[in-house]
Amino acid sequence: MAVQPLILGEMPSLSKLYINAAAQAARRRLLGTGDSSHLPDESHEVRAVAVDVANLTAYQHLLGETASDVLPAGFVHALAFPLAMSVMNRDDFPLPLLGMIHLGNRVEQRVPLLFTEALDITARVENLRGHRSGTQVDVVAEVRKSGSNAVCWLGVSTYLAKGIFLPGIDKPSAQHGKPDFRAPDPTALWQLGVDAGRAYAAVSGDFNPIHLSVLSAKALGMRRSIAHGMYLASRALADVGPARGDSFIWEVGFEAPVFLPARVALDITTEQEGTGAWHRSDFVAWNPRSGRRHFSGSVAALEDAASGNGDERAGKDTPGLTETGVSGPVQEERI
Amino acid sequence: MSIDGQSATGPDETARPTAGATALRRAIVVGGNRIPFARAGGAYAKSSNQDMLTAALDGLIARFGLQDERVGEVAAGAVLKHSRDFNLTREAVLGSALSAETPAYDLQQACATGLETVVGLSNKIKLGQIDSAIAGGVDSASDAPVVVSEGLREVILDLNRAKTLPQRLQILSRLRPKDLAPLAPGTAEPRTGLSMGEHQALTTAQWKVSREAQDELALNSHRNLAAAYGAGFFDDLVTPYRGLSRDGNMRADTSAEKLASLKPVFGRNLGADATMTAGNSTPLTDGASTVLLASDEWADARDLPKLAAVVDAEAAAVDFVHGKDGLLMAPVFAVPRLLARHNLTLADIDYFEIHEAFAATVLSTLAAWEDEDFGRTRLGLDGALGKVDRSRLNVNGSSLAAGHPFAATGGRIVASLAKLLHAKGSTDGRPARGLVSVCAAGGQGVVAILESV
Repeated sequence: MAVQPLILGEMPSLSKLYINAAAQAARRRLLGTGDSSHLPDESHEVRAVAVDVANLTAYQHLLGETASDVLPAGFVHALAFPLAMSVMNRDDFPLPLLGMIHLGNRVEQRVPLLFTEALDITARVENLRGHRSGTQVDVVAEVRKSGSNAVCWLGVSTYLAKGIFLPGIDKPSAQHGKPDFRAPDPTALWQLGVDAGRAYAAVSGDFNPIHLSVLSAKALGMRRSIAHGMYLASRALADVGPARGDSFIWEVGFEAPVFLPARVALDITTEQEGTGAWHRSDFVAWNPRSGRRHFSGSVAALEDAASGNGDERAGKDTPGLTETGVSGPVQEERI
Repeated sequence: MSIDGQSATGPDETARPTAGATALRRAIVVGGNRIPFARAGGAYAKSSNQDMLTAALDGLIARFGLQDERVGEVAAGAVLKHSRDFNLTREAVLGSALSAETPAYDLQQACATGLETVVGLSNKIKLGQIDSAIAGGVDSASDAPVVVSEGLREVILDLNRAKTLPQRLQILSRLRPKDLAPLAPGTAEPRTGLSMGEHQALTTAQWKVSREAQDELALNSHRNLAAAYGAGFFDDLVTPYRGLSRDGNMRADTSAEKLASLKPVFGRNLGADATMTAGNSTPLTDGASTVLLASDEWADARDLPKLAAVVDAEAAAVDFVHGKDGLLMAPVFAVPRLLARHNLTLADIDYFEIHEAFAATVLSTLAAWEDEDFGRTRLGLDGALGKVDRSRLNVNGSSLAAGHPFAATGGRIVASLAKLLHAKGSTDGRPARGLVSVCAAGGQGVVAILESV
């Protein structure tokens, strides 16, 4: 099914997307939903995206990444995020964009990208499937060096539309019980100020009101503002450090949201090969007072065999998120 | 007697021959890497010292395959340094691809910082304490620390100690509007209040260095550096960073006329003698450099190149405060002492790398060495130290063209000179020999001799 991508002239504006999503939500409330259980086939693409180096440096400083010329994997996610949103903002996308919950994220950083390189970015949605409390979907983003076929960065973000059940999509059988979590000894403690959401919004461009202030979050039904999930995951990636090298698989599953301000305890466990070379690091973060788990995931060496070649459209055989990403009874951030 | 043989000094120990009795081994320059130097406020305006040092380090690691390597020790420093960067070098190592088990320390000796890290680490290699080392330096004039006033600082510290609200209010009432003005770092000498340029202007006038001679040296610096870039000399010495692949200050197309058209900026109170312009003085610069040092065995085991040996070094200082000598003239004294120790003369040196803090610094230094009276009365020689063959001086350009991120200059010079010496090979049946001379604030200077391997 080779559908031509919809090529956009420039990266869509996130704020316009959010406004459009609100209008769409109102329209659907009035007119009812289309009851479609099909995802749009068309992918969206923006070509020759240029990176702003001042923005890159600010991102690297905020997240604790080495300020090299290589784009951090989380920075690429932020770069592709408006395009991913634009696919979910289409009229033929069957789920309401506003209020969707980011369950987890998986990134394959296959080839390092330099800020000096122009990038072609595509995004599409796939894998519409049931969830015990709604319907979930994967947004797949691919980043190539302009004019080349090889996917250098591949991201799969899994979102949940809570309380939305579409005809013909089965709900998986309920999972039994909550998986036990016993907090290990932390290897790090993060102090997140009340402005952590605003600071990440400034470098990522994601000005979703639920992250910005207590008032703006309350307006959307949240108790307080919460940290961006990708801010937390990207800091964990930075904390794993340069041992991870230039190509790796980075996965995260989100659980209890981090209400700001917050103290977050983190444990990173690293496995080395017999030679002493880095193999993988697993991370888990929790609230040191309540012991509730906020998120967990891993960064693992990307074997050459898995890195694929230029023609491969990785979406086909990309596994969805691992169970840890979707099993938690709690929610992460909403769109 | 201790088991590890190094903690206790008992009677047995003193009877044992000391380790120093064994011959010292060589310390080798394997290579270097730096990022292009950028004019302050330019391409690296938002990059911190740690960012730039890490970038230079990662380029070196990539060039010599040092990923996950536990290097013996890394030493580097910065002259303009934030207090939060107390462990700057170690933090850069942790942010680099080196093994996290690589130890590091910070060093600071003003503009001689970079060269002094080379000297100190080479000595450790010679002694057998370490087998490999990375020396370096970094400075950002763009991302410089801004300090609060003494008044505000004292109020903040006292507030921290106050226990009651009335105490706090009383302390706050001491604040005056002038206390809120931040202080930017300056290059003024603390004891004289004169900037480095003003100090050099006095020395320039004392040695009667002409405007034309300064402009000519500056022109040569730009031409030599541009020619070296054109010939690919820096291909394995520089890694691009933040979009820059050549030194941002370099003006390949500058001319004697352009340089002559600039107005003097230092020593203007000297009237007719004001000769120092923005063209023949180094600009404020951002950048970082690194040098990989090793023992022969370590380099051989990894099949790495061996460019030059760090033979010896000498530090000197002058009493500049009341004008006995010029602020930047310490190398004038260090070089004769170092040459004498090795029974060498200026004629035995194939390449001179005299750091161009100002064109006039180099020319004042050469003038002092050529002066009979100065040689006799101040250097304790029979006459003048001698003449530097100008065709051997800064042949690939120096700080006037490349720029001068204070602590990064030593590493730039050592890596470039080592490569130059290696290419030269030998002269008259002996290894090619190079002399490095770096002046520094506080009336200090460090000089060193390198020989081709």
